[in-house]
Amino acid sequence: MSELLGFWRSHASELAALFAQHVALVAVSTLVAVAVGVPLGILAARRPRVGGPVTAVANIVQTIPSLALFGFLLPLPLIGGIGARTAVTALILYALLPVIRTTSAGLRAIDPAILDAADAMGMTPRQRLARVELPVALPAIVAGIRVATVVGVGTVTIAAAIGAGGLGEYIYRGLSMVDATVILAGAIPAAALALVADALLLLAERQLSARRRTRGGSRAAVALAVLVALAGGAMFAAIPREEQIVVGSKNFTEQVILGELVAQAIERYAGLPVDRRLNLGGTFICDRALRSGDIDVYVEYSGTALTAVFKQPVDRNAQRVLDTVRHLYADGGVTMLAPLGFDNTFAILVRGADARARGLRSLSQLAGVAPEWHAAFGYEFLERTDGYPGLAAAYGLRFRDPPRVMDLTLIYRALADKQVDVVAGDATAGLIEALDLVALADDRRYFPPYDAVPLVHAATLLAHPRLRAALDRLAGRIDAAAMRRMNHAVDGRRRDPADVAREFLDSVDRGVR
Amino acid sequence: MLEFRPMIEFAGVTAARGAREVLHDVTFAVGAGETVALVGPSGAGKSTALRLVLRLNEPIAGRVVVDGRDTREWNPITLRRRTGYVLQDVGLFPHMSVTANIASIPALDGWTRQRRQARVEEMLALVGLDPATFAERWPDELSGGQRQRVGVARALAADPPVLLMDEPFGALDPITRLELHREFRRIQAAVRKTILLVTHDMREAFALADRIGVLDDGRLVALDTPGALHRSTHPTARLLVESMAGL
Repeated sequence: MSELLGFWRSHASELAALFAQHVALVAVSTLVAVAVGVPLGILAARRPRVGGPVTAVANIVQTIPSLALFGFLLPLPLIGGIGARTAVTALILYALLPVIRTTSAGLRAIDPAILDAADAMGMTPRQRLARVELPVALPAIVAGIRVATVVGVGTVTIAAAIGAGGLGEYIYRGLSMVDATVILAGAIPAAALALVADALLLLAERQLSARRRTRGGSRAAVALAVLVALAGGAMFAAIPREEQIVVGSKNFTEQVILGELVAQAIERYAGLPVDRRLNLGGTFICDRALRSGDIDVYVEYSGTALTAVFKQPVDRNAQRVLDTVRHLYADGGVTMLAPLGFDNTFAILVRGADARARGLRSLSQLAGVAPEWHAAFGYEFLERTDGYPGLAAAYGLRFRDPPRVMDLTLIYRALADKQVDVVAGDATAGLIEALDLVALADDRRYFPPYDAVPLVHAATLLAHPRLRAALDRLAGRIDAAAMRRMNHAVDGRRRDPADVAREFLDSVDRGVR
Repeated sequence: MLEFRPMIEFAGVTAARGAREVLHDVTFAVGAGETVALVGPSGAGKSTALRLVLRLNEPIAGRVVVDGRDTREWNPITLRRRTGYVLQDVGLFPHMSVTANIASIPALDGWTRQRRQARVEEMLALVGLDPATFAERWPDELSGGQRQRVGVARALAADPPVLLMDEPFGALDPITRLELHREFRRIQAAVRKTILLVTHDMREAFALADRIGVLDDGRLVALDTPGALHRSTHPTARLLVESMAGL
């Protein structure tokens, strides 16, 4: 608990900014969903033949898992891409169903005698809608808005995976660092936000349905005004102030540290403001964001670029891989800078205790015990040709059952907790030492090289001449041991990635490295 | 006896609800200031007759004439604003106070606030509800009888020459109904509207109407004063009159 308070104190301004972003995302998307969903709900109530399909489509959208929906939206122009736009689009789609459904249900539930009375007194259809139908259905409509808002607060946390910001950043950061404090630092305010929004809207709904418009109406108005003020303030706070260099990273510890290193190097040596979009959900998202200019810089690994990004056959010559990848990136308007100095190849990991008991040191030896063991791999490793399929062929590996797919952030812990016996991790993972895991030697040289290289959107380099020199100061400075130490500082000793990166840059400046 | 000037005329009217013909070749007239009750069993086309006057339905044959003009020549909005309508289910707007309910049509017609307020108090007094007590109440704070009185006040608020009533007191307990019958006669003596009301209750018709029309299977089989109807030989009319004695 005191750890959590300490974290909030030391990250107060970041917390406030993420909170504001979170509220702004929910507010914008809910407002748009109401503006679109209420008319659709009216249409659905009036014309069941149109309304049926509309509701059915909204229903189907609702069943798409949010990460999958983000995936569909990423390649789309205007509404897609990395960041808030995609998140807002997805949130609108999710919020539409409850709004449409409650609006149409609220309208259809109105006593027919009331509508008869309205018609018979000579109301035009528009007057009937504005003076009778919508006011009578209002409590139901507000109930739908309430559901949409609460779902929105939850979904935004997931949107951090595509760089939308919000409190989900802490949750992803905490997951990648296996640090419950950081997870809670994001999860608790998000839950509190959901509860407060729910309570205020419930109050509004109750007051409206109590039919005490003169008295209760004012209280409902106060509740709504508080929400609107909160949302407005948050939107204002979330407006980006100036042109910034956008630094991205994938969603695991080493990438977050590298993202921080790159970001701080740009701030320190080039004096340019930086917008951090760390913890993006994977290689494909980062690549797409870089090419579209949504992010300006991120650190990639040469082998990953070759096979996963450019779909080239595996190549085990490190220099040739760098040259090939540099040219392929250049064709796409991306400049690859000099390697940082370490090779983050895959490491096949087992528990230290098992390795000692069985005398396991290499992957060739693993083939002997594999049929007794369970394996788990990250999704990318399981699918990529330079991942599990090739590895299994090279060493003749066969496990007791087909390997399970597991999130990279959970995979080390799952191994240590004996949920599985073999996992694929990163050679530079700080948790390897922290959890007493052993990396088996790649004695048949199956894994290709994975040299860490900064990638920069070429147009950004042109626009900011000082950027290149600043990033080149990192070239060759980070060896595998340094990387593993930094990873362990974050994963094992729960230090803040920003602090770890700052200390490393300080040591570079002092000429220690 | 006033000179008979027809306000509502049905001339050879045939009308349907959906695919079903519910009125067949019906002809009658309601004079200005007169109260006519249409009586008949459920499904006899009584409510449809009222909807024709409001042009909520249109006849498939014949003409419905209001104040000398065919309903199809009336702008339906204008026609409805100058016609009061009281439903069995009242249909008070649940999100409006008693005052706002009664002032509905005046508000649509753009009356000033002060004029509306004065009218609401006048109407509440007319239907026997104390304005100080009831003006700011809400529909769910009223008894069935009070709701029905507010419904009548709302229908009369814009001073329409014609008042239509669809089973206006049908959902009330017998004592409240008798009380409202008395109130109805008092109000009608004061305002002298042209009233067409429909009911399945012969005693209600006898209590309220100047003349009574009997509908049977969509046809108007008798139309006469209550006294004359006692002597009618038509089987449905006889049945209705006898049902009254039996109760």
